[in-house]
Parts: sequence; structure tokens; C-alpha cells
Amino acid sequence: MKEIVILSGKGGVGKSSLTAALAHLLTENGKYRLTLADTDVDAPNLHIVLGAEFDRSTGVTASNKAIIDYDKCSRCMNCVSACAFDSIIGTEEPVIISYSCEGCGVCSLVCPEEAVSVHPVENGQINFVTSGTVRVVAGALGIGESSSGRLVDIVKRQARQEASLSGCDLLLTDGPPGIGCPVIAALKGADYAILVSEPTPSALSDLQRITEVVQGFKIPAGAVLNRSDMDPQSAQTTRDWLTGNELPLLGEIPYDPYLPQALARGNLGVKMYPDAPSSLAIKKLHKVVEGLLE
Amino acid sequence: MNKRLHPEIIRHFHNTPFSTPIIGITGGKGGVGKSTVAVNLAAAFVAQGKRVALVDADVDAPNDSLLLGIPLENPQPVTIMQPIFDSAQCTDCQKCVKACQMNSLFRPKEKSITLMGECNGCEACYLVCPAGAISQGSHSVGTLYKTKRGKLTLYTGALQPGLAESALIVNAVGDAAFADAELFDIILVDTAPGTHCNVIGALKGARHVLAVTEPTPLGSHDLELILSLLDMFSIQRSVVINRANLPGQKEKVEQAAQAASAAIAAEIKLDKDLLAGYLEGTPVVDLLPNSAAAEIFLKMTDYLTATYLSPHNQTQQEQQL
Ligand code: SF4
Ligand code: SF4
Ligand code: SF4
Ligand code: SF4
Repeated sequence: MKEIVILSGKGGVGKSSLTAALAHLLTENGKYRLTLADTDVDAPNLHIVLGAEFDRSTGVTASNKAIIDYDKCSRCMNCVSACAFDSIIGTEEPVIISYSCEGCGVCSLVCPEEAVSVHPVENGQINFVTSGTVRVVAGALGIGESSSGRLVDIVKRQARQEASLSGCDLLLTDGPPGIGCPVIAALKGADYAILVSEPTPSALSDLQRITEVVQGFKIPAGAVLNRSDMDPQSAQTTRDWLTGNELPLLGEIPYDPYLPQALARGNLGVKMYPDAPSSLAIKKLHKVVEGLLE
Repeated sequence: MNKRLHPEIIRHFHNTPFSTPIIGITGGKGGVGKSTVAVNLAAAFVAQGKRVALVDADVDAPNDSLLLGIPLENPQPVTIMQPIFDSAQCTDCQKCVKACQMNSLFRPKEKSITLMGECNGCEACYLVCPAGAISQGSHSVGTLYKTKRGKLTLYTGALQPGLAESALIVNAVGDAAFADAELFDIILVDTAPGTHCNVIGALKGARHVLAVTEPTPLGSHDLELILSLLDMFSIQRSVVINRANLPGQKEKVEQAAQAASAAIAAEIKLDKDLLAGYLEGTPVVDLLPNSAAAEIFLKMTDYLTATYLSPHNQTQQEQQL
């Protein structure tokens, strides 16, 4: 089984729509079997793009938090100054700001009353979705929670298990935005990374940062230029940068007003308007991705 | 999971040691135009003679400097504590290995504690070492920039690619701007996408938050999430609909806003003037001040000025909290 991860350095360049379209094309006529992992745990919405509903979910404890036993606490406030993350506040008695607590346990080390302890807490969910023959494993971080990296780890592990149990050819991961810990968790174990960009100066900067991460892990990668006709000059700058950095350009997808229309109806552009310019371009790209699977 | 917050946490969140109002710009997801709104609001306030701090707290992908067309200046490393081990002092008790919740410490052979994994600088190892074998070194996790252009000062942070410490950088950028707060009439904070702790960290002290969204199924879904986060912290909010003329589902966005009693502060259309500003790295407010797009931002600043920048309203606000 191959693992491909789709990343962009920042959201909003059409990563999820592209992931969904590729999944549809790859599984059409039963050619390949694949599992999707939605690792954008801060805003998972691959299911919306696919027009599918969650069918099962389980809570996940991917985070440790400190908890105070106020019966034991003497209000000495030692813990308040010891926390390197400013996660304990209070004037009368200590209050833990659980959303920023890193679970490091320093507060319990300095507490003279053994009133603080660190416990695993539920901070998110894993949702399972089926859309046609495609299984989606999606992580969802609780609102205001931390530790998205660890949640992504769990999502990937679940998805990998799901994929190998059902004999899939491919685990396709829709990556989180950014360049931090969750991105690395999404990238771990991947055979190939597809980096999605668009022709704007900001998107190029994001592409450069994500490329640095991907190359740091020595994972082969190629780029896709979405909305490629938005600005010819920026598009050329991006192409030149790709050439200079030996990143193959896997495909270019023109801006297409049909796409948002399909999305608004909870459907895929490639399904609803198979002959639209963007659909034709994605079909070409899908052949390239098939090549990666050989 | 959506538990009630301790009132002390909410009070702490709203408490700032200065009176300069903070306005947050956020949105459930990336790519909805948060940064475009942020830089244009900054430009519009400057056009009206205000001294503005713009904080780019999207430290994974900071783009405000590109959108403003100003190169970053004054880089400063953001550092955290990193333990240094002295094998001569070490008694090999391995208390540090046990104390490290990140499981980052290993002992490959006698008296050779080695930092292998990620370290968040919590100091647990340093605190437990009975032999004084650990000293506090420092380690850079990112960079802070402060760039001044006339009445606008941009505070940006950039995470070192591949690290997990974005929260520390977010706090460092905020702190840098807050330290200078008295120099400004207003502080604008552009957050990371999502509804996680970094977004909250970035919005600390915000008097009002603009939630930017677009009229798509994704937009309304993410808007609901971000609005419930703002609700948890009792933050005043309103909604900005970007690309309002997309053939989408504006009603759903309006419903989500109404359900959270958030007003629609503005609707921004997808237009070529705005796009030109975006590609050129100049806010449309500066590039084409008479365009319809610029008009919208200038109007928003009028509203924010009237609500948050007049001394009368300030005291009222404080009394409320
Ligand atoms: S566990 Fe660590 S981060 Fe959490 S409150 Fe205690 S000292 Fe602070
Ligand atoms: S250190 Fe322990 S006893 Fe002291 S305030 Fe904190 S929890 Fe209470
Ligand atoms: S706690 Fe101190 S003495 Fe004990 S193993 Fe660690 S460094 Fe050595
Ligand atoms: S400072 Fe904290 S995270 Fe770093 S090695 Fe020590 S105990 Fe582990």
C-alpha cells in the first residue's frame, strides 16, 4: 500500500476539494481501493466536500492536563509561578487554564501538598465516514483544545489500520495547514507529498516553507498549481521556483466557476461537470497520480 | 467536551494592563480572506490618521508582510529553556528521564542523559535533578519581527519549520505588541485558522472579533465552530462575509451568525480591485482608495472607531467586565 499526503502550507488553496476529486477518480470503476485520512483536525471538512455525513465517532484522549484537588490545596501559589506556559492563574486560589496546559507536570513537582496531578483528558474525536466505496477517517479537535499533533498521529494510525484491513492500494491524506507539529505527524510514513499552491506571492511563500519541511524529511514531492490562470506573472514565478528547486509540476488547474457551484450543492465538480475545464485538468492530474501508484 | 470555563479564566482572558483596544480578525479556516481583511483594516485606520499595531499571529504561515508589501525587519530569536547535562555531576538517578512528560530524555549509557525528542522547555527535568547536573541552556524555536512603516507597526512571528512550539511564538508576538501598546490607538490581531488554543492565545484581550467567512458549506460550518469558541470566552463578535457574491449559500452563513447573535459587519465582494491589491502586495485601501472594496474597509473602521476608540465607550466596556 502506498501513502500519499496532500499539503499546502496554508489552507484555502483547494486542498480538500482536490483530495476529494482525486479520490473519486481513482476509485471510479473500482480501479483502486483507497482510504482517506482527514488530518486537518482543526477544521475537518473533507466530508462536506464529499457530501457525506459522519456515521460513527469515538472520543480520543490525546492530551494530558493538570488537575487540582482543592481539598488538598493550601493556596500557596507555588504552582502559579512554576508553570512555564502561564497556564495557572488566580489570586485567591490557583486555576488551571486547561486549554493551554501542556501537561508537563511541573506544577505537581512544586506542589508541597501533592494537590496537583496530570491526567489524560478527552480533547477530540475520530469520525468515520463512508462515501461510495471510499472510507474516510477524520480527526476533529475539540473547540479550544490543544495537541493537534498527537490527534493527527492517532488519525493516521487508525486510517492506516482501516486501509490495510480492507486491502487498500492507497492511503490518501488531506493534510493540515501550516508547517508545525500536526503537519509533521501527517507526513510521517508518506511515500509522496503533493504540494498544492496557487499563483499569488503569499501562496508561493507558504509553498516554500512547506517544501522545506517535506525536504527535511526526504519525502519525494511534486506540486499542483490550482487556479493557475489567476495571475500569469505569479504563475510563472511559481513555475520557475519549482524548476529551480527540482520539484516537478504535476498539474495545473484553471479557476473554474463551476467548482464553487458544485461545492454549494454538496457535490464534486468532477462528478457534476465532468467536462468543465477544471475537471479535465484534474483528470489529467489523476493520471499522473496513478503513475505514482505503479 | 465543550465544558464551561472557570469565570477566572474568562476574566483573565479579557484583562489587559493597557487601554488600547484590541480587535481580532479570525475565521474558522484558512483561505477565507482573514489576512486580506486584516491588512486592509490596518491600512484604513492609518488612512484615518490612527497609529496602528498589526499582529500577524498566524506563525505557521505569516503572510501579512507580503500583503502589505513590506519586508520584515528587526529579527529576534524566540527562545525556550533547553536542558544541558553535565555528566561529571550526574549520579545516574534518572529522575529527569521519568519527569519528562514529552519522553524526550534517554540514557543510552551510564551518565549520559541525552535529549533526543522534542523539548518544550517546561523545566521539569531541571527541577527534579538532585545533583545539580542540569543547567538551563536556551534554544531558538522561531523568530520575531517588528517592522515600522509610518503609522503602522507590524509584529510578525515565524515558527521554525517542523517545530511544535507555535503557541510560544504566538505569545511572544502578542507580548511584543502589548509591550508597546501605549504607542498605538488600536491593535489588530490576525489569527491562525482553526478553533484551537493558539487562536485563543492570539485573541487574548480582544474587545471585538471579526469572524471572516465565505458563503460556502465549508464557510458556514467553520463559522459555527469559531463563533461557539468566541461564545465560550464571552467575546464581542461580528461576521464579515468575504466573496459574498460567490454562487453559494449566504443564508446559511447568516443563520449561523444570527444563532450566535453576531451582526454581519460587512460583505466583501470578489472583485478585481481587491485581487489586484492582493497580487501587487498593496492593500486596496492604499492602491485604489476610491474603489468600492476600499470603501467597505473604511466604513468598518468608522464603526470600530465609534464603538471602541472613544473614551466614553472604553469605560463602559470596562465596567461591563
Ligand atoms: S502541567 Fe505544566 S503546563 Fe500544565 S499547568 Fe502544570 S506546569 Fe503548567
Ligand atoms: S502548589 Fe499545590 S498547594 Fe500550592 S497553590 Fe498550587 S496546587 Fe495549591
Ligand atoms: S536527574 Fe540529574 S542526576 Fe539524575 S540522571 Fe538526570 S541529570 Fe543525572
Ligand atoms: S525541559 Fe521539559 S520537555 Fe525539555 S527535556 Fe526537560 S522535562 Fe523534557
